[in-house]
Amino acid sequence: MKKIKAIIVEDEELGRLLIRNYLKDENEIEIISECENGFEGIKAIQELKPDLVFLDIQMPKLNGFEMLEILDDRPEIIFTTAFNQYAIQAFELNAIDYLLKPFSKERLFEALNKAIKRIKAHEPINKNIEKLTQHPIDEVIERIVVKSNSKISVIPVEKIRYIEAQDDYVMIYTSEGKHLKQATMKYYEQHLDSNQFMRVHRSYIIRFDQVVQLEPYGKDSYIAKLKDGPTVPISKSGFKNLKEKLNF
Amino acid sequence: MLHPILKNTQNLIGYLIIWLVITSIHVFILIYFYNYGITISLSESLVFNILFSVLGIGIWYPVYYTDLEKNNVINFITNHLAASSLAVGIWLWIGYLILSSMFSASADYILYLDASIPWRVGLGFLFYVLIISNYYLLIYYQNFKDKLTRESELKALIKESELSSLKSQINPHFLFNSLNSISSLTMVSPEKAQDMVINLSDFLRYSLSQPKEALTTLNKELTNIERYLRIEKIRFGNRLHVDKQIDELCLKAYLPGLILQPIIENAVKYGVYESTEQSSIVISTFCSKELLEVSIINDYNPDFISKKGEGIGIRNVSSRLKIQYGREDLLKINKTDNKYEVIMRFPQNL
Repeated sequence: MKKIKAIIVEDEELGRLLIRNYLKDENEIEIISECENGFEGIKAIQELKPDLVFLDIQMPKLNGFEMLEILDDRPEIIFTTAFNQYAIQAFELNAIDYLLKPFSKERLFEALNKAIKRIKAHEPINKNIEKLTQHPIDEVIERIVVKSNSKISVIPVEKIRYIEAQDDYVMIYTSEGKHLKQATMKYYEQHLDSNQFMRVHRSYIIRFDQVVQLEPYGKDSYIAKLKDGPTVPISKSGFKNLKEKLNF
Repeated sequence: MLHPILKNTQNLIGYLIIWLVITSIHVFILIYFYNYGITISLSESLVFNILFSVLGIGIWYPVYYTDLEKNNVINFITNHLAASSLAVGIWLWIGYLILSSMFSASADYILYLDASIPWRVGLGFLFYVLIISNYYLLIYYQNFKDKLTRESELKALIKESELSSLKSQINPHFLFNSLNSISSLTMVSPEKAQDMVINLSDFLRYSLSQPKEALTTLNKELTNIERYLRIEKIRFGNRLHVDKQIDELCLKAYLPGLILQPIIENAVKYGVYESTEQSSIVISTFCSKELLEVSIINDYNPDFISKKGEGIGIRNVSSRLKIQYGREDLLKINKTDNKYEVIMRFPQNL
């Protein structure tokens, strides 16, 4: 029978070594690559197309969740982490299992058996983007990961000027350009710092300090002029909220 | 310190009541022992006692500027001798002028007034001594109370830091990942695993026992930091580089226990946890007789760090310094494009 191809994405060497040692005598699985960070992980997954990934969450630059967010074709995932607060999000992502460090060999094999079963059954993975609630509902995000062509960028929220809804996607405008991302306005409305950002319209979230001028535009609606030119429509309720926030 | 009598009406009323009592006794003595009429008795006691009660309020200032702890005995005596002579002199001179012009017709009283000067001088000095003694007592009491509140605030803060330091050890970043590393090491290198267990235990023990004594030596603090960094070094290998520039002479200097730990943890968190390349932490110390200065510099990438301001760690250290030393200028942060430096200063002769 064909071996299951797996990779380990984990920033600590001893963490990788542990999994490798646990799996040393296991014949059904083969570790085909080990990655030290999220960027390497994405590259390895895209190139090697593994069946299974052992994935750490806390890693420099790009964490485990951010990594999954930009993969189009996701392998099965077993999370390995010291955090217990991400378990719910992990299962919403339909992960096979969530191993809390330090974990035993038995625990790893329990997860592995589930993985083997699922991979052999060719169960499709649910990749519904709506379920990608990687942050607890009230957590404020500090960066957004985007992919344009094959390039991955991490945008600190400080660089975001405004966000525009575009069907199933959002367009994120930064000081350096714009990035398309599959996500919802609601998600950003909830997770961007409300002291910096506000949803002023069904299709727009803006950063307060970008507003240069507000003008009436037709009955009950307004437009905001932003720094360096662009204008953004503002709804009646958006205008009311913005007025309160900007104190005028 | 505010004027103890004038700072609230209650104290002022108390002070006036004391003088009222003295004035009454004074009147009583003049009437019953010297057989003066009510006008003379009342005038004399009112003039002298009102004058001294006003002077008594002013006497606070020589007391305030002649701190018992900062002046030697000779200074202290000279200052108060000068102040008391001035006070008593003014008191008698004005009192005498008023009374002698009021009762110039009564030769008998003027004679008595002249004769009374020597014992009035004595009485004046006695009043002066009584008043300054009270002031010094009040100062002492106030300092004592201040010290008590400062100490209780400090205790609360230490407890908080004990708790947060405990938390940071229990947090997944450090404790569980360390345990995972140990778990991994048991298979490949039991000796190293044992080393790490011992290191971790020593670190936890120090952190749990330390806050009971407020001050400790730099040597002890650095030894504990060393344990922590050794553990992180096992976890992160070459990603963590530590450079220590420690002046041997500083090792005996004193600083509050566990005050460096939150800063070092931040340095590792923002340096190593967030970086894929090697990240450096530089710890350096400078010291003089009066001051110990510790600087901790770490590499960081400003793009990946939130700009929400300083975290709990820095805030806690800053308020501990403020309470321990009563100064606000002991913590400084220097940020450049990719270096983050925290400088802490610890006064030595307390």
